[in-house]
Amino acid sequence: MGDRAEMAVFWIFTVPLIAASLGVVVTKNPITAAMSLVGAFFCLAGIYVLLTAHLVAFLQILVYAGAIMVLFLFVIMLLALQEEILGVSRIKVMQGFGALGCVGVFAVIYRAILATGPRMMPQVGEDYGTVKAVGRILFTQYLLPFEATSLLLLVAIVGAVVVAKQRI
Amino acid sequence: MVPSSYYLALAAILFSIGLFGVVSKRNILIVFMCIELMLNAANLTFLAFARQSGNMAGHAIAFFVIAVAAAEAAVGLAIVIAIYRTRGTLHMDEVRVLRD
Amino acid sequence: MDYLPFIQENLRSTAWFRPELALTFGAVLLFLLDLVWRDAATRVSRLSAATLVVLGVAAALLAVQPADAQMLFNGMIANDALSIFFKWLFLAAAALTVIISAQAKDIRPERSGEFQAILLTVVLGLFLMASSANLLMIYLSLELVSIGSYILTGFKKGDRKAVEASLKYVIYGGVASGVMLFGMSYLYGLTGTADLPEMARRIGTLSQTMAQAQAMGGQAAIRLTLILAVIFVLAGIGYKVAAVPWHMWCPDVYEGAPTPFTGFLSVGPKAAGFAVALRFFYGAFAAQPGTPLFDAQGLGAAVAGIPWPAVIGVVAAITMTLGNFTALGQTNLKRLLAYSSIAHAGYTLMGLSALSKTGMQSVMIYMSIYLIMNLGAFLAVIVVAQTTGSESIYEYRGLGKRAPLAATAFAVFLFSLTGIPPFAGFIGKYYLFLAVLERASGPAGNWWMALAICGALNSAVSLYYYARVLKAMFLESPYRDEPMGAAIGHRMLLGAFSAAVLVFGVAPGLLVQWTERSLQLFRG
Repeated sequence: MGDRAEMAVFWIFTVPLIAASLGVVVTKNPITAAMSLVGAFFCLAGIYVLLTAHLVAFLQILVYAGAIMVLFLFVIMLLALQEEILGVSRIKVMQGFGALGCVGVFAVIYRAILATGPRMMPQVGEDYGTVKAVGRILFTQYLLPFEATSLLLLVAIVGAVVVAKQRI
Repeated sequence: MVPSSYYLALAAILFSIGLFGVVSKRNILIVFMCIELMLNAANLTFLAFARQSGNMAGHAIAFFVIAVAAAEAAVGLAIVIAIYRTRGTLHMDEVRVLRD
Repeated sequence: MDYLPFIQENLRSTAWFRPELALTFGAVLLFLLDLVWRDAATRVSRLSAATLVVLGVAAALLAVQPADAQMLFNGMIANDALSIFFKWLFLAAAALTVIISAQAKDIRPERSGEFQAILLTVVLGLFLMASSANLLMIYLSLELVSIGSYILTGFKKGDRKAVEASLKYVIYGGVASGVMLFGMSYLYGLTGTADLPEMARRIGTLSQTMAQAQAMGGQAAIRLTLILAVIFVLAGIGYKVAAVPWHMWCPDVYEGAPTPFTGFLSVGPKAAGFAVALRFFYGAFAAQPGTPLFDAQGLGAAVAGIPWPAVIGVVAAITMTLGNFTALGQTNLKRLLAYSSIAHAGYTLMGLSALSKTGMQSVMIYMSIYLIMNLGAFLAVIVVAQTTGSESIYEYRGLGKRAPLAATAFAVFLFSLTGIPPFAGFIGKYYLFLAVLERASGPAGNWWMALAICGALNSAVSLYYYARVLKAMFLESPYRDEPMGAAIGHRMLLGAFSAAVLVFGVAPGLLVQWTERSLQLFRG
């Protein structure tokens, strides 16, 4: 892929991504927010492919957009929320201060990014970011975190049942 | 070729949007979604830096972050259901017995 | 890539990982035993005994484990004296919590199995936190502790306060870990590694280039990024130890959680947070500890002119002041102890900020003493709440007459928390102040002096609200005169805790020697 084509693809994913992310925070309706977030995750998966992170891009769609967001939607439907209990936003002044603070945080981070300077991406090998290559380091170098995560998921499953179930 | 600073700036934007949502939104579910957004921003930074330095540690970390996010979402949403059962609202300002 | 060495390394590492394996399989076993003993009449005592057996096995394996310091699992965790010291603290805190909760009414018998099993996984998370030598392991173990804690905080079924507390905890925890992860991503980006010892070396090189750039009049490019990343990572650690400004969850969670777990929460994760902070600041950012002061060319120089000890010192001062002054107005004992625990995080941060051998030792001493006196204080609260059903300070009126043992023990713990000799808390504070005063003779000594004075004034303030409880217990007349009973196990524990506080206060030699031996931090 040529440089200009790659840049074009970057912007094709970036603009909807930022729009969808903003959609999550401006809406009052959780369903709209959840759908925007699904859209944002899809665009983000596209960006990951640009970064040659194929496995993570697939997981982004499968786990994030697929499983986690379905869970969110499921909870929204389960609770059958009506508009009035969806909650009004906090007073505008607070939102203004929040926005100001976040712009400040962004400015500092942006300044830090500028300080490190624009770096060109190096060429990487053919199997960089593929399921095979990442899978291999997951089961060798990162075996302990991998097993710890399995326990983490077990605790989360049991815990979710313990917390949410009415009678056990 | 897209320079790495573009990806980093994009991640910073996502992070700031997520942070804004966390401090300003009062609907618990949307707050959770904003936390997910922040985690994704961190993931994007990890992947951008991994690509820049050519090692794959960032990919492994992003993989684990996704798994942890799933676990956290499961527990968080279970607590949301429990809150809704006892209170009948998901509005953060109304969830407030704990005040002295 | 040749991956056979990695697999061999993983297999080799299990020899130093047996206590953790015991905890893992113990937790799974308890999930099963919970089902097997579903209808047994002696369910709670059986499950508690099983948990104690698991903890005992882990302790035995930890005791016989070869002590050589090394990296395990391809640099994921470090096995060194520092981590082993903290592992003993976690095992002690967990065992005491199990014994306390077995006779407390906060946890219903039918849910006891899940409580114990999840508690074990939290202990495993604490173990991993204390030994993490990799950014990813720090994040994962922190999440393992957090997720277990969210669940156990909301464990009182149908209790409004409990669910709200766990919601607050989940939201603050999610944000803090998200911010920390973002900071970690920049640390990874700057150094190209997630491995703490390797990162220390690369930051050393980075700081040299930065110094050269500054000498040539150029802008130190990486400086701001490094500062930002460290501050973001501090958010995650500060949230675990409940330091200002990441303390907001603390009072609500302490009040809403079942009291035995509150006690555990106030000592276990706090100690683990300090273990991570020690490893992060002393291991990744400081220079080799050949000198008594670590930051000769380490932390301060690495982040180009930012005096990190001073930053942590300011956080310490604010944390203890805010904690103490907010505690003044509290009438709920659990909230009062929560604010006091924020204040104690502040005192301990003083030791961390000193960045010296004494500082490191003082943090370890304080955390072990704090474990005894704070668990004791929460046990006293449990004993009173069992009879009166309330944690209000008004229920403590005339406790000296109604329950002399509990009142006396509580008085001992409160005196110790204030830091009055001859109680153990004094020894802990003595070493913290020693670490700060050591720095007062060095460069920028006045600031260290100011920090020490701030700590001393704060201790005086804390005396006021602890004395309020003492006054209610011994000087005011009770509403009701009938004596207050307590479970036999609780009485024995109260006695044991008070004895321990006195023994460590009078003869701290053993503890000091033990921490002295455990100062070694493996850097790969």
